Amino acid sequence: MISSLRQRLSQIPRGAELRKRIFEMIDERVRIVTAGLSIKELRAVLRGDPPTEKPNPRYKVITTSFVAHLRPRYYPQGATWFTHTFRLGWFTTFFFVVELITGLVLMIYYIPFPDQAYGSILEIESNVFLGELFRDLHRLGAEAMVLFTWLHLFRTYFTGSYKGQRTFTWLTGVALLAITAWLSFTGYLLTWDQLGYWAITVGTSMTDSGPVVGPALNIIMRGAPDIGTGGLLRFYLNHVVLFPLIAILIISIHYYKVSREHGISMPAVIEEGEVSEDKKKEANRRIDLIPDLLTHEIFLVAVGILALLVIVYFDLFNSPLETPANPQVTPLDTKAPWYFWWLQGLLKIEPAKILENLLNPIVTRFGMAPLQLGLLLDSKFIMGLVVPPVVVGILFAIPYIDRTPARLARKRPFAIAWGILWIFIILALSYMGLPEFGIETPAATRVIQDLAPEEGLGILRETPYEELLPGIYTVGETSPEDLCAKDFAYTDHATGKQVIGCPHLVEVFEQYSSGLLAAEAEGKLPELHAILLIEDYGPDLRRVEMEVSWLDAESDEVKTYVKHYFLHRDRAREH
Amino acid sequence: MKRIHIEIALGTLFIIASSVILILMASEEPARLARYETQQLASQIEFGAAVYEVNCTSCHGSHAQGVPGKAPCLRCPDLFEGRIAEVGWQGSLEDYIVSVVTTGRQISTRPGLYQGEGQGPPVMPTWSDKFGGPLRDDQIRAVAAFIMNYEEWAANPEAVPTPLFVVDSNDPIALGRVAMVQYGCTGCHTIQGLSEAVTGPVMNGIATRAGTIAGYASAEDYIRASILNPNEYLVEGFNEGVMPQNFGEIIPAADLDNIVAYLLTLTDN
Ligand code: HEC
Ligand code: HEC
Ligand code: HEM
Repeated sequence: MISSLRQRLSQIPRGAELRKRIFEMIDERVRIVTAGLSIKELRAVLRGDPPTEKPNPRYKVITTSFVAHLRPRYYPQGATWFTHTFRLGWFTTFFFVVELITGLVLMIYYIPFPDQAYGSILEIESNVFLGELFRDLHRLGAEAMVLFTWLHLFRTYFTGSYKGQRTFTWLTGVALLAITAWLSFTGYLLTWDQLGYWAITVGTSMTDSGPVVGPALNIIMRGAPDIGTGGLLRFYLNHVVLFPLIAILIISIHYYKVSREHGISMPAVIEEGEVSEDKKKEANRRIDLIPDLLTHEIFLVAVGILALLVIVYFDLFNSPLETPANPQVTPLDTKAPWYFWWLQGLLKIEPAKILENLLNPIVTRFGMAPLQLGLLLDSKFIMGLVVPPVVVGILFAIPYIDRTPARLARKRPFAIAWGILWIFIILALSYMGLPEFGIETPAATRVIQDLAPEEGLGILRETPYEELLPGIYTVGETSPEDLCAKDFAYTDHATGKQVIGCPHLVEVFEQYSSGLLAAEAEGKLPELHAILLIEDYGPDLRRVEMEVSWLDAESDEVKTYVKHYFLHRDRAREH
Repeated sequence: MKRIHIEIALGTLFIIASSVILILMASEEPARLARYETQQLASQIEFGAAVYEVNCTSCHGSHAQGVPGKAPCLRCPDLFEGRIAEVGWQGSLEDYIVSVVTTGRQISTRPGLYQGEGQGPPVMPTWSDKFGGPLRDDQIRAVAAFIMNYEEWAANPEAVPTPLFVVDSNDPIALGRVAMVQYGCTGCHTIQGLSEAVTGPVMNGIATRAGTIAGYASAEDYIRASILNPNEYLVEGFNEGVMPQNFGEIIPAADLDNIVAYLLTLTDN
């Protein structure tokens, strides 16, 4: 035995031969790991040298590796113009990956049960190292992904990239739009605060008005007539398992179509415009994935990460977290996230009213009774259940409606105008979706809500504790100068800043007074009597009461609206 | 320089910049976590105060000062200093509060002092939604945090500011109004603009009514007697023994004078 071992050992090469053998072994491993690149080739790639072998081993990576199989070998130079794609689809993918990574971290701590969910979010914010960063990134990434999906849709629309063989790409794209919307919708509930709870309650109630299956659909989504344990778990699983998987699948298909089957479309000017042969030739020059496109993508990753971190670090974005969900109390302004404002705006339109206003002048001229269309046309049903699917249907159908092959903007003025019109419609609907729009809130309620909104901070809650001086201040009687003594000054315990006077309290009182007095002048609050009362309610805790009474014209009774706030010295005053 | 080189250079720069930001964030993180926790406790206390105001003031008083005969003070040394030993509670005071609020109290542990609404058991209803009450766990935790926040006042009762902001200490009427809150009268009596309660008669109009009652020399006489000796004359529809009988011992003479002076201003219904 020993002799055979000795024999074997003596066969081991030495010196240069050994180095060569080791190098070959490593080289072979590298080829396996990189799916085709030798060490020499890798070095050439990194140095920007041309390929060292023929056929180009850099293409072999793409044909043999499973993951890289999704990638293109090269794009024609024209398709990589920044002004053609603006990298919008690329950044959508980037944000999706950001969501996957940050979401995985959040999943470690999150507990999807109503009595623990909110607490677990607090835990992430207050007890997990960099927990707030991950929450902010996840939330910011989600909003960015939604935004970029829309922008990307409009880009492909305006460049006419959905035409011809790319029809299917467009269809998968529309599916991705819906998936993205559903991912953000389901995620919104998980914090289990007033904001999410009520946005989702209002959102899911849309199906309620549907015929036959409507209420059933609502219950399937919510898990019970009201969102509870079942509903939260359902949303959670949709959000972290089912739809991420579906999204990965459909994004892969979408991307495969783009990268491997049809390539990114050439800019229309190259395809149809009158450009010189030289330019056309340059536009068709191959830009290889390895190393050029890949370098560019790594560069974009660096840009994306830096942008996200800068936004979060400088507090340009903060994840909201309101008081815990309370099924008994509907907040005054239930606010959907901005990317659903268009839907909220849509729901405020009442087609029956519009038709009545249009038709009734004509109908009554013929001596007939005015039409009552309210029963026939249920607004919630039409605007919530008919219009959105029709819009999605139109989106799906765009490549079939617009069958002209022309892609150059100037050759399809109608399509371009139609696209711009849609942008305006979406913006207008979003504007109508703002909580303030079209919803008549009683004057006193509105003024107080603006001072201290039920969601968010408002200037009352931003007032430093030191300025909340106990006393009764009467609108129209107390002069803002008398809110604090002439020589009043304090050091803000939170910022350490020296402040002279009580500017915040003055601002609060002035906004309160001017809002109410303006409403009185408009006749909305006759015989106004309003106070702002501040009193001690505990150590470091003050109670602020706003009481507004007025003479109600209809009932001839004095009406009173009272609202209380408790403000603790250590409360967060920004975010 | 080719574009790819610019991208590599810039990209490297950006990654370094991102790393710097991350390092900065990480170094500030312990302070942020601590700050968040303080702020979180503050907003929990605020939230608890709102829960308290809606659910508990009718028995424990508008400012947790307690209502004699009804329910104990929740910001006084009694609760913070000896209470858990008195009832033999093993855990922390905060847990005691959570547990009492969660389950309520069927029978008073101090029947001579606190009888709730006085309609028999329970003297304090169950609050947890697990047992049919209206409050969720997080609300109960918050109200407990709100009560625990009173520790500082309980340790130093002299430093407690007068419950209402009235500052003019020479005005007997204003002081009387404060005393009405301080001694828990507002826990049983409605006074417009100050309190709402149904256990005792509405106080608005008392000054006019008091003058018409036979057997008393003046309105002032009747009011004073009603406070010191409530059973002497019973208002129709109310029972004997509900209003505490010992205000004469609790309330110093000066405060009593102020209360009477204040009640004498309540002429309108
Ligand atoms: C119906 C009247 C009533 C209401 C309303 C009420 N309580 Fe009580 N509470 C009582 C009575 C009576 C006691 C004293 C029982 C005893 O001494 O055994 C008590 C005792 C307590 C105690 C224990 C104090 C001690 O000294 O042991 C706490 C804490 C408490 N209540 C908190 C609350 C909170 C918080 C609320 C509002 C959510 C509330 N209570 C509402 C009647 C009430
Ligand atoms: C536990 C509840 C309770 C508290 C606390 C209480 N009262 Fe009463 N009070 C009543 C009831 C019940 C009556 C009616 C029965 C009676 O006349 O004794 C009443 C009657 C009165 C009356 C006579 C009312 C009338 O309309 O003739 C006066 C005056 C009065 N209370 C003053 C006070 C003052 C001052 C305090 C505080 C120092 C106080 N009460 C605290 C329950 C209460
Ligand atoms: C999750 C959402 C989506 C992702 C991740 C995604 C990703 C991508 C990527 C990476 C590209 C390559 C070109 C580029 O970077 O712009 C692309 C192209 C394309 N996408 Fe999307 N996309 C999404 C949604 C959509 C939507 C909503 C539409 C339209 C309804 C759409 C339609 C198209 C079309 C037509 C192309 C081909 C463009 C061309 O060839 O010039 N995509 N997509």
